[in-house]
Amino acid sequence: MSTASVAAPSAGAALGIDRLFLGLALAATAILIALVLLDGQPLSAALILGGFGLGVAFLKAEFSYTASWRRFLTRGEAGGLLGGLIVIAIAAVVVVPMAALKSDFGGAIAPLGPSLIIGAFVFGIGMQLANGCGSGTLYTVGGGSGRMLLTLFWFIVGSVAGSLSLPSFMALGGIDPVLASDYLGPWGGLAATLASIALAAGLIVAVAKRRGANFKPNRNYVIGGIVIGLLSIAVFLAGGHPWSVTFGFTVWGAKVAQALGFDFSHAAFWQWPGPKHALADSVLSDTSSLTDFGMIFGAMAAAAASHPYARAAWPPLKSLLAAAVGGLLMGWGARLGFGCNIGAFVGGVASGSLHGWVWFAAALPGCLIGIRLRPLFGLSKD
Amino acid sequence: MRKTYIAVITLALVAIIGNHLTSPSSGRAVSPEDFAGACAPCGAPCPSKK
Repeated sequence: MSTASVAAPSAGAALGIDRLFLGLALAATAILIALVLLDGQPLSAALILGGFGLGVAFLKAEFSYTASWRRFLTRGEAGGLLGGLIVIAIAAVVVVPMAALKSDFGGAIAPLGPSLIIGAFVFGIGMQLANGCGSGTLYTVGGGSGRMLLTLFWFIVGSVAGSLSLPSFMALGGIDPVLASDYLGPWGGLAATLASIALAAGLIVAVAKRRGANFKPNRNYVIGGIVIGLLSIAVFLAGGHPWSVTFGFTVWGAKVAQALGFDFSHAAFWQWPGPKHALADSVLSDTSSLTDFGMIFGAMAAAAASHPYARAAWPPLKSLLAAAVGGLLMGWGARLGFGCNIGAFVGGVASGSLHGWVWFAAALPGCLIGIRLRPLFGLSKD
Repeated sequence: MRKTYIAVITLALVAIIGNHLTSPSSGRAVSPEDFAGACAPCGAPCPSKK
């Protein structure tokens, strides 16, 4: 999603820093950091700051997986898609060997089966209707898009629904994660991971050339890709696992639902040790939530520091409907697919896990369906 | 839209702070993958362990 459409000032509005929202973003970030530091958790503060940096980077670079995948599928333009691979390649250099060598660190792994494929496919449909994926939703919400605020709400709802569905879909079958370093060792695993990224890049360039389209990432995607890749490493080092987005949404939604009286004690997902702890513990004990909060406020600070904030008019009702439907599909799809473009694709591939590529291969046809559905909601296919 | 954002941010911060102050804290930020038997970022078990 273009930040130009997110944050364009209304006619006549003066350009300049939006002190109110810049102050809000910085104050909110400071409050969250203070809370975790008071708990003696400096690494949690690092996760918030890492997320903050990611929010700034994504917004300033207008780094959109959704738009770049759409441009590739509709026109063959590969620059943005390749920029996304830069992020993964940089992150992999640290994630693959450290996850294999250090017991305190782990990669993003997931079982291979129908749940992964169905989830990724549905997520792909949703991201094109919503005009943003996991990272895209976060930075555009932070950037001042009311439309994406609606997407985020339904993303959260969908992810709670997905948490209730996941055990049934996992019962359809599957095999344990396939991790390159398990077969090839830490350095062989890294070599295989980088080779897979290079192979994917080669295929993408070949498609672009065949369609007579540009395949060179522009400056924003190169610099953005490098910065985001490095920040992903920082988040990995602080949290012990690759950067993830959507589990935070699931926890937020479940906590609200629980506060409203919903009982999760009979829901299989919420009896698994990890989710059970996340639901019971402070939201600031969850790595995904920490980076999510940081990213929203980082994007907000970056947007407010350069122009009046959230001045755009609300889009038409049909567009808002697409935002809601897209969010719902992404939330449900992300739970079944073990993550979004960041957690499953970026994190998975950067960990040398085969599920990352399977996720990508399943999400792309979903994106094709989503692109075809866009005109029904008054959205362009481009 | 600005008023919507102010309302959402205020509500969110109250909810986060309230949840943090009324819930146990694990001492460090954790991911569901940190727990034994987790086979996915959400903490799902491995198919082979069912």
